[in-house]
Amino acid sequence: MSAVLVEDVSRTFGDVIAVNRVNLKVERGEFVTLLGPSGCGKTTTLRMVAGLEQNTGGRISIGDRVVSDAEKGFFVPPDHRQLGMVFQSYAIWPHMTVFDNVAYPLRIRRKSKAEIEQRVMATLRLVEMDKFAQRPAPALSGGQQQRVAIARALVFEPEVLLLDEPLSNLDARLRTQMGDEFRALQKRLGITSLYVTHDQEEAMALSDRVVVMHGGHILQIGAPEEIYQRPVSRMVAAFFGSPNLLDAKVSACEPEAGTRYFQLTVNGNGWQGKARASEKFEPGESVLILVRPESVRVGDQAADGALSWTGKIVSSIFRGPRTSIAIETSGVRINIEAPAILGLKVGDQVKVAVPAGGAWAIRPEDAQK
Amino acid sequence: MAVVADAGGSPDGKFAGALRRPLTPKTGILSHIASTSLGRNIGIGILLLILSFLTLYPLSMLFYGSLHSTPPGMAGEFNLDGYRQVLSAENVLILINTVGISFAKTIPAITLAVLLAWICARTDTPGRGVLEVLITLPFFIPPILTAMAWGMLGNKQVGVINMAWQWMTGTTDSPINVYSYGGIVWHMMQYSTPFLFLFIVDSFRAMDPSLEESSRMCGASRWFTFRRVTFMLMLPAIVSSFMLSLIRGIESFESPLFFGLPAGITVITTEIYNAINHRATPAYQYATALSFAIMAGMFLLVIWQWILLRGRSYTTVTGKGYSPNITKLGPWRWVTFSFCILFFIITVVLPVGQLAVGSFFKFFGFYSWDMLTLDHYSAVMQNKDFWRSLSNTMLLGLLGATATMILGGIIAYVTVRTRWRGRKLIDALAWLPWMMPGMVLGVGFLWAFAMLPGPIPIYGTIWALLLAYMALGTPISVRVMSSAYHQLSFDLEECSRVHGASWWQTLWRILIALAWPSFAVGWVLTFFGIIRELSASILLYSVGSEVLSVTLLKLWANGQAEQVSVIGLMMMLLVIFFRWVQLKLIKQRISTL
Ligand SMILES: Nc1ncnc2c1ncn2[C@@H]1O[C@H](COP(=O)(O)OP(=O)(O)OP(=O)(O)O)[C@@H](O)[C@H]1O
Ligand SMILES: [Mg+2]
Repeated sequence: MSAVLVEDVSRTFGDVIAVNRVNLKVERGEFVTLLGPSGCGKTTTLRMVAGLEQNTGGRISIGDRVVSDAEKGFFVPPDHRQLGMVFQSYAIWPHMTVFDNVAYPLRIRRKSKAEIEQRVMATLRLVEMDKFAQRPAPALSGGQQQRVAIARALVFEPEVLLLDEPLSNLDARLRTQMGDEFRALQKRLGITSLYVTHDQEEAMALSDRVVVMHGGHILQIGAPEEIYQRPVSRMVAAFFGSPNLLDAKVSACEPEAGTRYFQLTVNGNGWQGKARASEKFEPGESVLILVRPESVRVGDQAADGALSWTGKIVSSIFRGPRTSIAIETSGVRINIEAPAILGLKVGDQVKVAVPAGGAWAIRPEDAQK
Repeated sequence: MAVVADAGGSPDGKFAGALRRPLTPKTGILSHIASTSLGRNIGIGILLLILSFLTLYPLSMLFYGSLHSTPPGMAGEFNLDGYRQVLSAENVLILINTVGISFAKTIPAITLAVLLAWICARTDTPGRGVLEVLITLPFFIPPILTAMAWGMLGNKQVGVINMAWQWMTGTTDSPINVYSYGGIVWHMMQYSTPFLFLFIVDSFRAMDPSLEESSRMCGASRWFTFRRVTFMLMLPAIVSSFMLSLIRGIESFESPLFFGLPAGITVITTEIYNAINHRATPAYQYATALSFAIMAGMFLLVIWQWILLRGRSYTTVTGKGYSPNITKLGPWRWVTFSFCILFFIITVVLPVGQLAVGSFFKFFGFYSWDMLTLDHYSAVMQNKDFWRSLSNTMLLGLLGATATMILGGIIAYVTVRTRWRGRKLIDALAWLPWMMPGMVLGVGFLWAFAMLPGPIPIYGTIWALLLAYMALGTPISVRVMSSAYHQLSFDLEECSRVHGASWWQTLWRILIALAWPSFAVGWVLTFFGIIRELSASILLYSVGSEVLSVTLLKLWANGQAEQVSVIGLMMMLLVIFFRWVQLKLIKQRISTL
């Protein structure tokens, strides 16, 4: 039995369809992230799970309990859903101390004084805020407020923890640190978490599974590597970094041994080689070949069947650990992230190659969508 | 914004702010009364009913009365005689008087207010915090008190100022006579300057300093920057205070009553008052028609203001705590300091001092040692009318301020925090009294109470006054509370809901807990409003339900300036006490939020 089950859920605001028939399953103890560009409906989805927004279509269950069913007009208000939530603004109540903020969910549930004291302090210790228990809430830094917000959401052991861009108000360094800390805590306590962000790196670093959304739809659900290396469409591919997407034609297709993928042989404009795909292609079909800039090797001897190009470097930007270069060859432009140590300069003639497994084929039809 | 429908998940309006997400209570089995549409509709219905009775009803009765040939409650016929009388040559003069006086006081008042606000917010004048409190004090003093004090100070025969002048120059001429156009303007200016100051000072203070700094970096001089950046950014606030001051000037009653009537200068409010109170047969129809006409005029003014200001409010005020640019004045700072102190002396120390002095001498105007006495105090203590009106005023103040603030708090909640159907209507109804001068609302309520069916005897009781005060106070209470709610993000409420608190628990533990300082501040403001109110009270009181301001006026009319001084002094103490409480509360709020 899953912790959260979202079935065919939609939400409209007047003419705007904010969320369109979304299906999603979060298992117990799992960390699932909703990822997508601004306005794609992430927050709305999360708020429907929380009960802060009512879904106009579909059904939502938490644990073994249906909490909202639009067809039956059934709706459980947020206070009866046993959820913890961390808001983007943290929503730390300014008229209470840190202790009172964290104790709030327990006081609402009429726990005994001793139990409140003990559980609040234990939770504050968990987020390393026990020293600040008696501080007035406004006298906290952003990172501290965030910890308090997490403590408050965890203190009554909710079935699911919902987080709406909890790190977006922090500066870059703190963001990474808090993210890692939270992930460690989540793993240790096995908290089922549904997390919203528009930051791809954050999503990949933290999650068990990532849900990529766009325009109210789900484009793809999968583990971070899968989403990154094997996107189902151009849109998902383009959402992470700035990949090379090359037009090509299929000349052969055969199933890969021991996996559920297919090996394609593709022909481009003056180049050819092998790529993987998740589905069967007919010879002669057009495909889009996805090559991540950091998968391209400069100067390597091309292995058998690997894609390779020779061209002139047209731009080069030093970025510290690596250098972003672009080469142009017979009408294609290829972006490459190369180790900075190679000392590549504009105008150099180089040979580049993609090792096996570095090229991924996408059907262009759905790329057009 | 469109009126938004949101009944249990039905489509919301297209333009409903995507950024603001009100916590919309939904229908559902486990929901409670407040969130079921039935409960919600009943709530909205009751609110609409109360508001209509407070605002729409007297307004329509005003119109009814203006067409009705006989006084309220008597059989008569409908005709346009009232309006015919309004269109007379004398009334053109009255209108010119009214508007002219209002302009004459607004222009110097706003200049002074901008100057004082700049001194307090943007210079290094010593003791700015205290100066600010002193400068704004006159706003909280009931104008009737200062009017009486200035009536004594600037009296042509026995006024202290003229006596001092004669003593200094050795002549016998009296240069000052407050019973004149100048006197009216002078008095109005005194309480409208601090009012405008309060309005303007925050926009001076909250201005992002980088806006000015970038102008300086572009090579502009300090004065050029002030004219082209600071002043232009302030312009919306200044224009809106200008309009507000103009409207308030037209509505003003005390100043023309005290200084205009004896000199034969009539303005619209005193004309209405005269028509009802000072004619052999009260001319109700005429007074009502005049009231309705002036209200229509106000309505046009408000619309004009709205058009002037549309799209002109630059959001220079952000949540960030800027420390604004402070101009170093050098030795000039003592000049600005003295200027503020001078303002305080003229507007507070002089009149209060006059009241204090007046209360200890046998006859006002004869100040010698053998005239010292405490007789007036014992006279006041034995004056039954005084005690009755004091207890009436206190009762009305406490009850009225509480009721008005609760009503305002609910209205503001519905209009700011929910998307319930009908909230726009509620907002509009609550705002209606904003353009009704107290005098006009008083006339409206006169008719409204008289037209009530027999068994509801409100007229002549203090409940009549209570209702009028509530109507007059509602726009302010709604404003105060909505700005309080606006500052609280929806997250704070939603977070409480998700973590297990019900709608009621959230209301109590989060919203009310956070908004109560504003409530208290608003309460004190409303309370001040009630104890100073004269124009509606004078029409609606009857024997037994006098309030302090009415009693004061009666004593004054009987020539008992000495007892007036005693009572005035006590009211002053009350005002200072409440102002102190209010300041304490504001301070506390600033340190906790
Ligand atoms: N209360 C509302 N009324 C009308 N439209 C809304 C409302 N709430 C959200 N929307 C619309 O629904 C769409 C999805 O909004 P949502 O807040 O879920 O986006 P998001 O993915 O969280 O974006 P972001 O990353 O910017 O937070 C947007 O187009 C938004 O304008
Ligand atoms: Mg969002």
